[in-house]
Amino acid sequence: MKRAFAVEHLSIAFQDKNEPLQTVVSDVSFSIGLGKGKSEIVGVVGESGSGKSMTALAAMGLLKDNARVLQGAIWLEEQNLLSLNAKELSRVQGSEMSMIFQEPMTSLNPLMRIGEQVGESLFLHPGHGAKLSKKEIRRQVLKALEEVGLENAERVYRQFPHELSGGQRQRVMIAQAMINQPKLLIADEPTTALDVMVQEQILELLRRLHREKGVSILFISHDLAVIEKICSRVLVMYQGQIVEEGAVSQVLHHPKHEYTRTLVERFPRFIAPPRSKQNVLTLRDVSVFYRERKAERSGAQRREIVHHANLEIREGEILGLVGESGSGKSTLAKAIVGLNPQYEGEILMQPDLQPQMVFQDPFGSLNPAHTIGWILSEPLRIIGIKSAKERKERVLQMLENMGLSKDFYNRYARELSGGQRQRVSIGAALLRDSKLLVADEPVSALDVTVQSQILQLLLEVHRQNGLSILFISHDLNLVRHICHRVAVMYQGEIVEIGDAQEIYRSPKHPYTRRLLQVENMNL
Amino acid sequence: MQYIVKKIITLIITLLLITLLTFTAFAVIPSDAAQARLGTEATPQQVEALREEMGLNDPVLQRYGNWLTGALQGDFGQSYQYDGVQVSDMLAERLPTTALLAGLSFLLILVISLPLGILCARFRGSFLDGLITQLTQITMAIPSFFLGILLTYIFGLVLRLFQPGAFVAPTENLGQSLYYLLFPALAVAIPKIAMVVKFLRGAILGEIQLDYVRTARSKGNREGRVLYVHVLRNAFLPVLTFLALIIADIMAGSIVVEQVFSVPGIGRLLITAISGRDYPVVQAVVTYITVIVLGVNFLVDMLYPLIDPRMRSAYAGPSRRQL
Repeated sequence: MKRAFAVEHLSIAFQDKNEPLQTVVSDVSFSIGLGKGKSEIVGVVGESGSGKSMTALAAMGLLKDNARVLQGAIWLEEQNLLSLNAKELSRVQGSEMSMIFQEPMTSLNPLMRIGEQVGESLFLHPGHGAKLSKKEIRRQVLKALEEVGLENAERVYRQFPHELSGGQRQRVMIAQAMINQPKLLIADEPTTALDVMVQEQILELLRRLHREKGVSILFISHDLAVIEKICSRVLVMYQGQIVEEGAVSQVLHHPKHEYTRTLVERFPRFIAPPRSKQNVLTLRDVSVFYRERKAERSGAQRREIVHHANLEIREGEILGLVGESGSGKSTLAKAIVGLNPQYEGEILMQPDLQPQMVFQDPFGSLNPAHTIGWILSEPLRIIGIKSAKERKERVLQMLENMGLSKDFYNRYARELSGGQRQRVSIGAALLRDSKLLVADEPVSALDVTVQSQILQLLLEVHRQNGLSILFISHDLNLVRHICHRVAVMYQGEIVEIGDAQEIYRSPKHPYTRRLLQVENMNL
Repeated sequence: MQYIVKKIITLIITLLLITLLTFTAFAVIPSDAAQARLGTEATPQQVEALREEMGLNDPVLQRYGNWLTGALQGDFGQSYQYDGVQVSDMLAERLPTTALLAGLSFLLILVISLPLGILCARFRGSFLDGLITQLTQITMAIPSFFLGILLTYIFGLVLRLFQPGAFVAPTENLGQSLYYLLFPALAVAIPKIAMVVKFLRGAILGEIQLDYVRTARSKGNREGRVLYVHVLRNAFLPVLTFLALIIADIMAGSIVVEQVFSVPGIGRLLITAISGRDYPVVQAVVTYITVIVLGVNFLVDMLYPLIDPRMRSAYAGPSRRQL
């Protein structure tokens, strides 16, 4: 008896009306050991659209109507899943193999109690034909909820999904997927939508279930850091094909395929160290004010938002600025880029620094009446490039650098997605020859997957141009991963500043400790 | 609790506003009820005397106040058109007929459109789906009164299944009355059935795209169970609001259709009252329709939290979500 989950020469294509077949998975083969002594956690890594989710959905029989399997087989031990009819497949789904998804917030039925949803998996697969009593189902559901680390299982049993946090919902999803003791669990980006702290806990839970129950896990992710933490083997998918396969440590440290290499380089953990200790910007005793509305006429009154801030940004450094909303982060940023002249103290900067702002809201910050080409040409006009041809060339080049095609030159902002707009904003800042980007929550308004793409773009820009970045965020985990140093703001004051890892390891100021605690509790 | 109180207060305010609005409208319209009642032969002195007697010379707000106090006790005043007849009696006489017509229409809508909508969504893209979608497209576009004429002709004159104009009051013979009302009810219901089918189909198909449905499938739910256990309840939330709007539509639709089928209901009363400038009657009918429409919406507002737990906790004060 074959004790494995094996994909053999699988090809999948999309067929939309009146359009040619579009192959998304081509000739993919791999296998995962199942059962005692053979079970393993295998990662599949690749960017969105690389076909990694398609393969999993095909195995689960969850492909959309417009997707077609062109060739191949998917074996779960002795049965070819692709040759099963709907009834036979439904016996395998949720019992011998099950799946958890990226979006814990929306993956549960909003109108059904948790207990009922988890119990449904048991109800559908009573095993050996014997119907379980309601009492027995309840007992097993409670046990399953406890096993995934949900405290107060009795209470969760009665709750509705909206009463739980994202982390709790993902635990419920796992409980529901594991309740029939499947041989294989497919996890499609199960931690991507979660905070880093919660991510850790979910990964730990999956590891434990693998160890204790002997379930094999097919772990799909775009995030190498996550793959490294949990998988023993990894497959790298690129444009529908497996381009590299091997032990995680091998693939991560000695990548063979070119795509894997770029993937590893983009890995946020490898942010390039600052080029020098030279300061490009120094704030000395800077206090920033806002004029009160009423006071505008009388002229006298203004409110101090930032109190006596001292800060240096070094050449090629990514400095994180964290704090809750209202702590004065944005106010300080606006003073640095010259959007708020109401400050006292000294802001010293290199003469050619040209600090530029990247705003949180990519929808509001691009002029809707002009084409992207016009918007990007504007900084060139300002710095005095008179030749229209040269301006266009440089803009087209910048579009390419930002990962946008030339077509975008003639498009309008409303035709762009949030991520694309943020790319344009970053491009516009770079065209001004800025040496310092002040990014105010640049990814908070974006989808999770788009977030990581924009972050990668920022890091790439940082690496290639030796740019300094002041990265403002309320998201501590993000800051921890991409910043060299971190400054913490609290009620208008910079209360702590230091090496990023150091601050997370031993926060000194009580407010920083509290911030980290809140983050921890936020499951 | 807070939710209910808030909704009740909104209900009362809306009711007061609408009645005040119609009342003022009739007071402002340049036509004289006293004149209309006495005819063109009357002398100005006679008209003036009657105006005084009917209280038409009092300020609008005072008259509204008087009317409201009466209305709250079930007294809508006397008809201008028929001397000495209480408006509330006229209303009471016709109410059962109209209620029966409206109820029957609504029942037809529910019984026919819900299964059809589900069927369409279940077999989306099939021949059956296409056929029903085409049919609903056509019937949606036919106005009720025209449908009424058509039904009268086909079932009344050609097939002779009923005799147009020979309505039997429900108090006389309920069965026969219901049988007659079936045809006007169809005229009211058919365009609405089309709308509900289209809406329900859309709601289900929208719901089927969602993540939780994929989860349900991944657990080994067969397609039928996915639809009936998971999707339908969720899809029904927007449909509920839509049905409340449909009820308002039924009220409006039945006014015209009663006329076409010569059913002596509230709708016909309204039309004769308007042409006779019988304002107390018009005011009473408008109030009655307002109460029904607002009442139904209120009921839906009350139903929502029962069906959707998210609404329940949203109105239960601060979120009980755990950290």
